[in-house]
Amino acid sequence: MSTMQKTYGVLAEFANPADLMDAAAEVRDAGFKHFDTYSPFPIHGMDDAMGLKPSKLGWIVLGHGIFGLLGGVALQSWAMSIAYPMHISGKPFLNFPAFVPVAFAIVILLAAFGAFMGLFFLSRLPRLHQPLFNSKRIAKATDDGFFLCIEAADPAFSEKKTTDFLKSIGATEIEIIPE
Amino acid sequence: MSMDHHHTTLTDQLTFPEENRIATAFFAAGFAGIALSLIGLFVNTEQFFFSYLTSFTFIASLVLGALFFVMLQHITRSGWSVVLRRIPETISYQLLWLGLLFVPILFGMEFLYEWTRAELIATDELIQHKRPYLNIPFFIVRNVIYFAVWAFLAYKLYRNSVAMDRGASDAIDRQQRVISAPGILVFAFTVAFASFDWMMSMDSGWFSTMFGVYFFAMSFQSVLALVIVLVIYLLSKGLLTNTINNSHIHDMGALLFGFTVFYAYIAFSQFLLIYYANFPKEILWFYYRFEGSWIILAYLFLIGRFALPFIILLGKKAKSNHKVLMGVSIWIILLQFLEMYWIVMPILHQDAISVHWLDLTLLLAFFGVSAGLFFRQFARHSMVPKNDPLLAESLNKH
Repeated sequence: MSTMQKTYGVLAEFANPADLMDAAAEVRDAGFKHFDTYSPFPIHGMDDAMGLKPSKLGWIVLGHGIFGLLGGVALQSWAMSIAYPMHISGKPFLNFPAFVPVAFAIVILLAAFGAFMGLFFLSRLPRLHQPLFNSKRIAKATDDGFFLCIEAADPAFSEKKTTDFLKSIGATEIEIIPE
Repeated sequence: MSMDHHHTTLTDQLTFPEENRIATAFFAAGFAGIALSLIGLFVNTEQFFFSYLTSFTFIASLVLGALFFVMLQHITRSGWSVVLRRIPETISYQLLWLGLLFVPILFGMEFLYEWTRAELIATDELIQHKRPYLNIPFFIVRNVIYFAVWAFLAYKLYRNSVAMDRGASDAIDRQQRVISAPGILVFAFTVAFASFDWMMSMDSGWFSTMFGVYFFAMSFQSVLALVIVLVIYLLSKGLLTNTINNSHIHDMGALLFGFTVFYAYIAFSQFLLIYYANFPKEILWFYYRFEGSWIILAYLFLIGRFALPFIILLGKKAKSNHKVLMGVSIWIILLQFLEMYWIVMPILHQDAISVHWLDLTLLLAFFGVSAGLFFRQFARHSMVPKNDPLLAESLNKH
């Protein structure tokens, strides 16, 4: 590997989920923002330990849902009263109770699209290259490994200091990940 | 870093403080309500029984919802809810004497249930057809069965839970699930038929197969609100503050939000099918409930019981904000009473809402006595199932 290569970050392995969660809290308290943890299963409380803010996904879903509601009502209002007005057992053309099931279904559909595509967007997927895979060890994150990676993009990042810091908070293995 | 947010032992005071006079206060209010209502019984007997049934179904819906909540936690082996489960357990324990409160209704059947009136039995062909089901002896037998089944379930689940306070026992813990699994099935049928008997049969020509689910949806939404009110009340008194955390509250808020949608879904589905088909025998029930000022209540439920709580509780923060949850919960419980009123009372006052003072005194009587009994029972045992096998999981909830 060329020495000219940029560093993506420092990957640290921890012995167990509890150590990882403590380490995440230490990293958060040290002021790092660009870091992530990797484990074979979700660890309850990790969001707080990492200091993650609530996801923006909800707002994307809400926007899509509201758009679906307005669109669903507008579509039916137009179809049932302007384009194809039909008398159905003496009910008014603009029969809002009857519009509810379809409007509801469109809200669900668009909100689900919003959640699905919003998740891809926020996670920057699809991603063709993830530098973490330069590490052989990271594969353990799908089996029995608990990892924390502080990225070089973080303003507080310094290869030497960050490595020492991760050692001091109990990392069992440290690896510099090239870009 | 210290793990101070992790704990597996209870550090709070576990008994509801005796010096708290809240039970006495509720009993006093309840007995005042009973005394006033007894006067009303002689002043306006018919109104008395209609008001009585309204308040009875209101209290019954809360108590039954609590029983369902407890059984649901057991069959799903829910760990998260253990710290607050004693609250719905204690609410559902009132099913022991709920049957006694039903007895007065048997004396008012000629007012409440048109199918008991001799002149209608003689002339109304529809009622004649329904006689095999809608007759007084069978009505009483059915209700005895309902109350016996509910009392058994509530008693066993409560007593087992309290027995485990003296020491964890896998056998008892297993028995909770063994009771709850068939219990939920029996609960579904008994509650549905009870709602047919108590309320749907008042309009003996009307039927809706969704009515049982409708009653259940209302009752479960309301009892989630009631548990939230009680939890936040305890926390505000400085009780269980290290036991029940914001994550428990958030999950209760999420359940309240979810079952607000479920309530709206069921209530609207029942309405839409009948409205769209527009058959005379079916539509009349809604016709009377949309007549005159009754329509105001119908819109109030649509906006106040679904739209507003839905919007308010949509965000994550609101679901664990004590003030917001307390406000929404009390509002939903109030609307539950009004919805029972809206179901029962148009039979008596067909043209418009006509509030009678008996509506209020009987609500005071039922609510005062039930709340008093709740707090008396709640003070007798630990406020938390302190040896439950899943307690540690619940305490560590995030």
